[in-house]
Amino acid sequence: LCSSTSLHHELSSPSKKPDTELSLRIFLDMGFTDTQAEQLHDTVSKLRGGSAAKHVLSTLTALFALGLNPSSVLKLLDKCPELYSVKEPQLQQRIDNLRKLGLGEGSIQRVVAYYPQILTVPVKTVKTAVGFLREKCLFTVQQVTDILRDSPAVLTENLGQLEYKFQYVYFRMGVKQGEMVKSRLFRFTLDEVRHRHSFLERRGLYQTPDKKGQTVILNPKLDSILSVDQNTFLTDVALASAEEYDVFKRLMAREWHEQEQEGGRIEAD
Amino acid sequence: EKWAATRAKYPPTTLALQHFDATYGVQLGQQWPSVRVALLSERKYGALFNNFSHDAALADLEALGCRDFIRDIDAEAQPCPEQESKVVAEGESICVSMKKSDADGQQLSPLQLSPHIKCLVFPRGDITRFKPAKPDMLGLLGYYLMDAASVLPCLALNVQEGHNVLDLCAAPGGKSLALLQSQCIGFLCVNDSSVSRTTRLKKVLHSYVPKQLLTDEKLRVTSFDGTKWGEIERNTFDRVLVDVPCTTDRHSLMEDDNNIFSKIRTGERRKLPQLQAELLLAGIQAACPGGEIVYSTCTLSQNQNMSVVEQAVHSARENHGIHLQVVDLQPFTHMFRKTFNFAPDLPVGEMVIPHLTANFGPIYMCKLRRLT
Ligand SMILES: C[S@@+](CC[C@H](N)C(=O)[O-])C[C@H]1O[C@@H](n2cnc3c(N)ncnc32)[C@H](O)[C@@H]1O
Repeated sequence: LCSSTSLHHELSSPSKKPDTELSLRIFLDMGFTDTQAEQLHDTVSKLRGGSAAKHVLSTLTALFALGLNPSSVLKLLDKCPELYSVKEPQLQQRIDNLRKLGLGEGSIQRVVAYYPQILTVPVKTVKTAVGFLREKCLFTVQQVTDILRDSPAVLTENLGQLEYKFQYVYFRMGVKQGEMVKSRLFRFTLDEVRHRHSFLERRGLYQTPDKKGQTVILNPKLDSILSVDQNTFLTDVALASAEEYDVFKRLMAREWHEQEQEGGRIEAD
Repeated sequence: EKWAATRAKYPPTTLALQHFDATYGVQLGQQWPSVRVALLSERKYGALFNNFSHDAALADLEALGCRDFIRDIDAEAQPCPEQESKVVAEGESICVSMKKSDADGQQLSPLQLSPHIKCLVFPRGDITRFKPAKPDMLGLLGYYLMDAASVLPCLALNVQEGHNVLDLCAAPGGKSLALLQSQCIGFLCVNDSSVSRTTRLKKVLHSYVPKQLLTDEKLRVTSFDGTKWGEIERNTFDRVLVDVPCTTDRHSLMEDDNNIFSKIRTGERRKLPQLQAELLLAGIQAACPGGEIVYSTCTLSQNQNMSVVEQAVHSARENHGIHLQVVDLQPFTHMFRKTFNFAPDLPVGEMVIPHLTANFGPIYMCKLRRLT
């Protein structure tokens, strides 16, 4: 940690100069290979406006400070070029906030590599989303941390959509928070969840539990419904053919579209 | 609470589903989940083409990708020339032993399918919907939307030139209309015990068929109790269609209004097989010796299908001395397996079972021929 901080200081002064001075040399010094450095240089010089390029070094420094190596840094910047232009204090604030939310060194590194967009999300937005997960969905602190680690994209999802998805799984499928976290529910779109669930339900293989939480049949676990590819889902869980499921999804899309048009959507209160 | 709040505890549609899970789960075994999801999802329609309309409906529908399923048949699936029939043996139930039919000319072959009945459907897996039909300059509509599988009992009836035909339970009239499309009926008698439904039936006929074909010499619409037909008009008709009231499986799963599974209609529902058998028996008596009867329902229920046929056939023989032969419809249904999914190997009759890729039916049909 100490060494990366010093690296940060050493490099912060050139970043204030015009971007043309961001030479290959600096990138090489940071540990990029020749090709990587050239590639980076190329990208940076194409960035519009000085303000964009001016944060390049602080961004790189921050990413290295998370323990990422040059090639993964390059890869994630490729996925999310917006990161080049995030201002240093904001970036640091965001990282600190994620740490506060329980993402330890290893986790934060993996999350950023897998979903770099997380560092473009303002702290305020993260706080709102976390507040929502805690208060509206009653996830525990630890569960929220797990959600952020497994499904960071949850932070950028529309809260209305998120609430609808949660309520669908909670009320309609009768699944509790622990199961939701275990199955990495928030990695899946609402449509994916609804397609698989309603297909099973209409086939008679899934039931909404009654008030006492009881069902006549044994429901498959959310995890076994979601965390498998479509073929496995069809052969192992739904016991159906791909043709049937394909027609079913198209029928559902039309059914739901028409319900929405009629304003038949369940209102959040 | 949001998801459960306003629903009654056991609405009729839920009761119907519970009932079907219990009975069809056993009856259909591994097939039931696929039938279940099809029943609970949007059904497919067929457009019965109206030969009497001058609208360009046929070309329009074909341009949309529809095809007439009656002509779009499996080349390999032509019925064998020597048609075999299932013969009713003495004893309790219907024997499935095969015996060659001696009634020449009564055999079903693709040539004897009415050349005029056309029913257009979108291909397997295609979920496109039909638009409502348009009236031509005389106000006649271009097509009638109905379950395409409902056309099969009409085709199986195999109406020939000049035939005297009875449609015992006819309202709202989809099958009567299909029969009229054959354009060879001598006299058609359409009946339905419900007066309000016969009124609707007349409206349907007038929206599709020119007035000159609906005259008293060609058509009679009545509202009698069909079970009494054997007392009114015996040994009369060449062809009789007995499309009985049943648990209408699809409707019962979708609509809570007017649902046969509602608590107050339990008695009526329990008595259905009895009513169905009485209607079939009356239809049998109304047919002339040598005449043919098609029994049909839109339920998967064995009690309302095979058992009713067995009971009626038994009673016709025991109580009325009428001997019947069950006509094997398998060569006939075989031709249409491109369009419909048929239940494999039913001991008596044929059944279209719903499937998401071909979401028609359920339709059960059984054809009987009067030997005496
Ligand atoms: C399945 S629907 C017939 C549908 C019709 N064949 C069609 O294709 O449009 C059954 C009909 O039987 C009628 N029905 C019920 N009991 C009857 C009876 N005892 N005699 C005659 N018709 C009866 C009902 O009014 C209902 O219209």
